Amino acid sequence: MTERPAPVARLLAEIRALDRAYSPGHHGRWSSSRRAGIVVRCLRELFRQQAPPPDVALAAVGGFGRGELAPRSDVDLLILHTGGRAQEVGRLAESLLYPLWDAGLTIGHAVRTPRECLAVAAERLDAATALLDATVVAGAGRLLASVRSELLRRLREDPGRFAEQLREDGERRRERYGSVSALLEPDLKEGAGGLRDLHSLGWLAEVAVPGEDRDPSMSAGGGRLVSLVRVGLLRDVERGRIEEAEEFLVRVRSALHLETGRPTNRLHLDQQPSLARVMGFEDEPGLPAVDGLMRAVFVHARQVEQVVGGVFDRYLRDSSDAALVEPTAEGVLAAFAGVARRAGVMSAATLDRIERVELPAPVAWTDGLRESFLEILRAGDEGARALETLDRMGLLERLLPEWAPVRCRPQRDPYHRHTVDVHLLRTASGVAQLLAGRDGGDPLAREAARLIRDPDGLLLGALLHDIGKTGRGGHVAVGAEVAARALERMGVPEPTRDLAVFLVAEHLLLSDTATRRDLGDDDLVLDVAARVGDPERLAALYLLTLADAGATGPLAWTPWRATLVRELVAKVQRVLERGEMGTETAERLTERAEALRALLANEDPAEVDGFLLRMPRSYFLTLPVERIASHFALLKTAVGSTEVRTQSGPGARGGTHELTVVAADRPGLLSWIAGALSLAGLSILTAQVFTTEDGTALDVFEVEGLFEPEIGEDRWREFRSALRKAIEGRISLEHRVADKRRHYPSPRATVPVRVDVHNDVSDFFTVVEVGAPDRIGLLFDITRTFADLHLDVHLAKVATYGARVVDAFYIRDELGRKVEAQDQIREIERALRERLEA
Amino acid sequence: MKLVVAIVKPFKLDEVKEALREIGVTGLTTTDVEGFGRQRGHTEVYRGAEYQVDFVPKVKVEVLADDDQVDGIVDAITKAARTGKIGDGKIWVAPVEQVIRIRTGEMGPDAL
Repeated sequence: MTERPAPVARLLAEIRALDRAYSPGHHGRWSSSRRAGIVVRCLRELFRQQAPPPDVALAAVGGFGRGELAPRSDVDLLILHTGGRAQEVGRLAESLLYPLWDAGLTIGHAVRTPRECLAVAAERLDAATALLDATVVAGAGRLLASVRSELLRRLREDPGRFAEQLREDGERRRERYGSVSALLEPDLKEGAGGLRDLHSLGWLAEVAVPGEDRDPSMSAGGGRLVSLVRVGLLRDVERGRIEEAEEFLVRVRSALHLETGRPTNRLHLDQQPSLARVMGFEDEPGLPAVDGLMRAVFVHARQVEQVVGGVFDRYLRDSSDAALVEPTAEGVLAAFAGVARRAGVMSAATLDRIERVELPAPVAWTDGLRESFLEILRAGDEGARALETLDRMGLLERLLPEWAPVRCRPQRDPYHRHTVDVHLLRTASGVAQLLAGRDGGDPLAREAARLIRDPDGLLLGALLHDIGKTGRGGHVAVGAEVAARALERMGVPEPTRDLAVFLVAEHLLLSDTATRRDLGDDDLVLDVAARVGDPERLAALYLLTLADAGATGPLAWTPWRATLVRELVAKVQRVLERGEMGTETAERLTERAEALRALLANEDPAEVDGFLLRMPRSYFLTLPVERIASHFALLKTAVGSTEVRTQSGPGARGGTHELTVVAADRPGLLSWIAGALSLAGLSILTAQVFTTEDGTALDVFEVEGLFEPEIGEDRWREFRSALRKAIEGRISLEHRVADKRRHYPSPRATVPVRVDVHNDVSDFFTVVEVGAPDRIGLLFDITRTFADLHLDVHLAKVATYGARVVDAFYIRDELGRKVEAQDQIREIERALRERLEA
Repeated sequence: MKLVVAIVKPFKLDEVKEALREIGVTGLTTTDVEGFGRQRGHTEVYRGAEYQVDFVPKVKVEVLADDDQVDGIVDAITKAARTGKIGDGKIWVAPVEQVIRIRTGEMGPDAL
């Protein structure tokens, strides 16, 4: 290996010393400018050693030209010459570059004439900006000076166009690299809010604020920002904020280079733990060190985004309407509400005025303050932007101290793309859009929006739905508490507050239930309906679910998920519309559950809860609580396959008896029970049939003796024995019931047989209504017909009115479907009529 | 080696996962899918607004297995995913020519 030239050897030694001088987390702007200086000095010496021709200049361009060099960044060079002597210039380039390449530096270089420089700069924005940053390292400085002044002359012919180009470039970078203020793996250099955005302010200053042109042998430094402040495009406090941000971002980027040994700008998840350590972040309660690092990155990048956006807005859009701001919290918020409403730009002067208003922390809410805040929320995107500005100025936290724990908090899951607070703002503005009818063609959203009577409750619920993501405890439960407190302090009136807190507490209900639970289960739908209570709340919940998913990321709202959520919403809506469930019914259900728990206080509470879950909701709503409590023991242990359990007691009227039968459910069971009752000489007055979640039938009958009112234990035993035999297939009830019937006169034919099949009563069952003259074994006949047709009776209500019996049966086919085919419906009607008219 | 592919109801995924874990299956892939079998699409109505649902949401579970594991896997999925109602889904088994573990380069049954 050949000996290194002395300048290169010194360069390496100096860089090593620089790397060691600070811990890897503390290489800020000073270190980067020192690094650039070390390289410049080496290049200068190498250049001189070559005795170069007189009309050649060596220039540093890009970041290196600004006097900034991160540990593994490219050293970008431009060799300017006047044309001709190509070989000589080529040799010069080689003699400069090879020693540096050998030393392990990455060099980017171009060899151009002034004319070529201008041609490239006219074509490509990055070439133009690289030249704006260029400084002379060695050689004929006047060459670079003339190129730069010609470039500036051309750009200044239309500085607005240049500003637009910079802004468009920023948008392109945002699309390609995303935002440094939100992404979990941000690109610190190219991402929106990153270092490139900061540099764009310098370029804008150079072109848009003509002043004394920079001496091209001196790097462009903070002076560019000062000139922006001088002309009122940048506020002085903003300059302070973005300089802090730059220092921090440079440190993180340098640490990334030093830790990985590569010129990477993307802060990968893998590297975050070691970076957090070298940057000095430590685990805090509710916020691990890595999240602390990312939160700091987000905080700074957010300032950059806000300030850079503001400067371009002020330059490119009219912001001359510097409004008078009353120096109170109300005045400040009213000013923001006005700008959000008009979709305007707040002028630098107005912002300065606002920043001078001294606000207490926390701010005490008034009616006026609340009205302005709501107005901002109602303004959708513009409102979210106003809240962002409030946030960057530190005002949002004074209004809502609850905001602090979610501010810039990273979310580490595959769905979320944004920090918690950004997600909340986006959800609120998404809801505002949906309410304004911008629903992206979702027919449910349009209908749902029409149902909303209290948009403020929905907007507040959306804004606060994840406010419980504080790093401690379940975010839903915590969120409901935090939101209730915040809304009370804001003085939000009760119904609106209730809606908002409800939305916070239930914001996962629809998507969790739809994707994880069986939507074919009627009790599940009833439970969701009970939790929701009424159609407006359901609509609000759907709109929040939509906006929440839209604000999460592209993976959160797939057609797959949408189909499931909509199916659930439609089913719950119908249950609420029909009155099967609603606020009052839900309350009754809760009261009954409480009463039941009190009656069963001596039992194991876990078992009681299990019982409550297993039994259908209709069961709890129809039977008296005392009766239900008595069933608990009957169902406590699992029922054997041919086992029959009964329980009897006095009926509602004199001479009647109540009988409860429990057995493993199976097709035809109800008909066997009905048949066995007839055989035992018992007439069925009413029947209520239920099926538990785990397939046990619990049927409650009111019966009376056909011939004598007294029914002794032997009669019940006779019934149980007949039923067991029928279940086991040892007797045929069919002919035995027919036998029995033969001995008695037929019923009077004045009562016609009526059969009606309804499919619009329930989403889960076909309802068959049967009206017929009473006779021995009538229920047996009806249910036998269902069994023949392989139909499962899930719920039955049988009532006897004198000589007439009206029964309703909730049935499904053996695959659990409603009966919807016309021919099958006709078959049911004919079979029933045939049998009952016989 | 075989690839066992199952289409199941979304809410049955956890039970299927658990059942497979119990018989020692260590890896599987799931995908949210949409389609229809005998259970066709349908029209949904919400407050009078009608919309067509052409495809029913399901979850696809894929398990790579050695030949002698296949019966157990199929059995476990069938039991766990069954509700007895329409739309319970399907399972199919296809031969697999080669399996490679990317990290180590292991091939064949070693890579399972």
